[in-house]
Amino acid sequence: MTNIGRVLRKDLRLGPRSPFILWAFVLPVVMTLLIRGVFGGLFDANPRLAIVDPGGSRVTADALALDGIDVSVLSDADELRSRVEAHDYDAGLVLPAGFDEAVRSGARPEMALYISGESLASDRVVLAVTTLDLVRGVSGEPPPVQVEVVSFGEESLELSLRLLPLIMIYAVALAGAMVPALSLVEEKEENTIDALLVSPASIQEVMAAKVLLGVILAFSTGIMTLAINNAFSGEYTAIMATLLVAAVMMAEVGVILGAWAKDTNTMFAAFKAGGILLFYPVVFFIWPDLPSWIARIGPTYYFLQPIFDLSVGGAGFSDVAVEIAIGAAICLALLPAVLFMGRWLERSRGGGAGATPERDLEPAL
Amino acid sequence: MSRRLGIIGAIIRKDLVAFTRDRFYVFITVFGLIIYIAMYWFLPNSVDETIEAGIYWQGGSPQVLSSGDGLEFITFDTPEALEAAVDGSGDESVPIGLDFPNGFVESVRSGRPTTVRVLLTTDVPDEYRGAMTSFVRELAFLVAGTELPVTQLDTTEVILGEDRAGDQVSLREKMGPMFVFFVLLIETFALATLVATEIQARTVTAVLATPTRLSDFLAAKAIIGTVLAFGEALLLVTLIGVLGTSPLVLIITLLLGALLVTGFGLIAGSTGKDFIGIVFWSMVFMIPLAIPSFAVLFPGSAADWVRVLPSYGLIDSIVRATAYGDGLVELSGPLLLLSGWCVIAFTGGLFALRRKVASL
Repeated sequence: MTNIGRVLRKDLRLGPRSPFILWAFVLPVVMTLLIRGVFGGLFDANPRLAIVDPGGSRVTADALALDGIDVSVLSDADELRSRVEAHDYDAGLVLPAGFDEAVRSGARPEMALYISGESLASDRVVLAVTTLDLVRGVSGEPPPVQVEVVSFGEESLELSLRLLPLIMIYAVALAGAMVPALSLVEEKEENTIDALLVSPASIQEVMAAKVLLGVILAFSTGIMTLAINNAFSGEYTAIMATLLVAAVMMAEVGVILGAWAKDTNTMFAAFKAGGILLFYPVVFFIWPDLPSWIARIGPTYYFLQPIFDLSVGGAGFSDVAVEIAIGAAICLALLPAVLFMGRWLERSRGGGAGATPERDLEPAL
Repeated sequence: MSRRLGIIGAIIRKDLVAFTRDRFYVFITVFGLIIYIAMYWFLPNSVDETIEAGIYWQGGSPQVLSSGDGLEFITFDTPEALEAAVDGSGDESVPIGLDFPNGFVESVRSGRPTTVRVLLTTDVPDEYRGAMTSFVRELAFLVAGTELPVTQLDTTEVILGEDRAGDQVSLREKMGPMFVFFVLLIETFALATLVATEIQARTVTAVLATPTRLSDFLAAKAIIGTVLAFGEALLLVTLIGVLGTSPLVLIITLLLGALLVTGFGLIAGSTGKDFIGIVFWSMVFMIPLAIPSFAVLFPGSAADWVRVLPSYGLIDSIVRATAYGDGLVELSGPLLLLSGWCVIAFTGGLFALRRKVASL
């Protein structure tokens, strides 16, 4: 146990010097910003209306309170026209001063609604009928019909929430799998692994320290990712248990990869190729209508689904206990592989019984 | 002169061999190309800009309603059939339903209270909910013969810019330039690795001990980086079928783009100490350079700070050439800006590499 602590302390002390650890912590933040700021707006884009209203019309006040339409108030009609033409807005409304009084007196003032040539036809319809409705509201004439809105089905989650598993898998896979893998590969490239193997630390202790390194980092980035995405529900214990499963699973995958790969390039190439098996379940969160049984084949599903359900689905621990248990079982099942790769690594470096050069040892992974 | 060219050619051949021996870069180059091509053809080639709504109106299709730009109505025989189509239990499916009561027109005209049901699935965006309510109210005003309390400009005069209704730039057309740009960026990594390997292993000092001059070495690195990046980008635009739209403009743009990323690749390669360092420095350049490729996905003009980024001219030129058919004259502005950045990046790259080699 002392040896595990020593190796772990060394890795934690030297770790911050690696830009990769910096990336492991920075990437979830960058992805969160991108997904919330960029892609959230891209796929759920609202129609955009600009208004020039020197007289402070009620139309503007009502428009600003609308759901689903982005309204901006500009001061100059020429600027509005040029920005509508550049498609900075889908439509632009120019109201003359004294508009409300003119409407109420029946003077029928002029109202200019400019449409951008690049706006979607559906947005044009939405903005045109909404504008007319707002103007009718100013006239004070009651509509000759009552409208009853009836909704069907469960409300679907926002895209930015459905993308949470994507950010989570990057957060735990980079910190949990890539960092210990890279640590092991660098030990091999710089031959410091040989020094470790002749020290009192056994290969099992070295592997355990690397797994612990991945667990600590993945757990930290997982918590950070949930926090910055405001995805912590009240189920703290269940979320922590799921994050632990995620961190252990990724760390085990990482040390297996790190023990196998002979250099950094090979490790990155293998992670790029094999990473699809870890990453593909996120697709099924983004498009929930796809058959979920395919996602269940992927091992990462068994921590992504519980985290998703607990964080944004309102589930409790009992609802996700089975998935967490399966995830924990996968972690246990990976343990023999971790130990096997440790022994293989030891033999390949000339330690242990029947040592064989690494080039002659290519375990089928 | 021919001796110099021979030396440069020899270094390029050596680098090509080194590149093809690097499993990682060969893999991500081939894999990246395949993935980008597959993704491109998988992306939708059209934009759905129609609001589809089911309608129940006594006696069939109403005269006051007709499908047009942006709206498509599907008529149902009974309110129950319409409701089943919206809640998903019917044979047909529509996200929005307008259930007009029997005798709607008579009720509105006579001023009797009447209620129209707007049926919606929860997936319907907020703006459609409000718009459908407004639509029904406006229809009732129309039926009642109540004229608008305002005068409007003629609708044919208020479309600003080219009217692209029904001919919108698709996601595929918008994403194509992003893929081209990412292929160019991969080569930033590859070139940076080639350079860093030479520096790390100090083979550059061995090369310079031969009749090779530093200028030969720098020229060879610049050529190999540009050729690799340009070749792959050209291959991509050919395989996704956009080269034919404006071949001359695209070739010039891609060549400038290749020069730009080569400049940044030389800087990253001269700065990074090892593979991870190269990844780090390449990413430092990659993130700001990638911003314009995301910006074009959004409607409207890019922010001023995005317009001055080195890659903006590259992305803007590709989008405008492939999606809008702009030629060299229209694109002279962004291409000039891109050329200016090429000079800066290339000079910076050669300066960084020269300084690094001199320090060995």
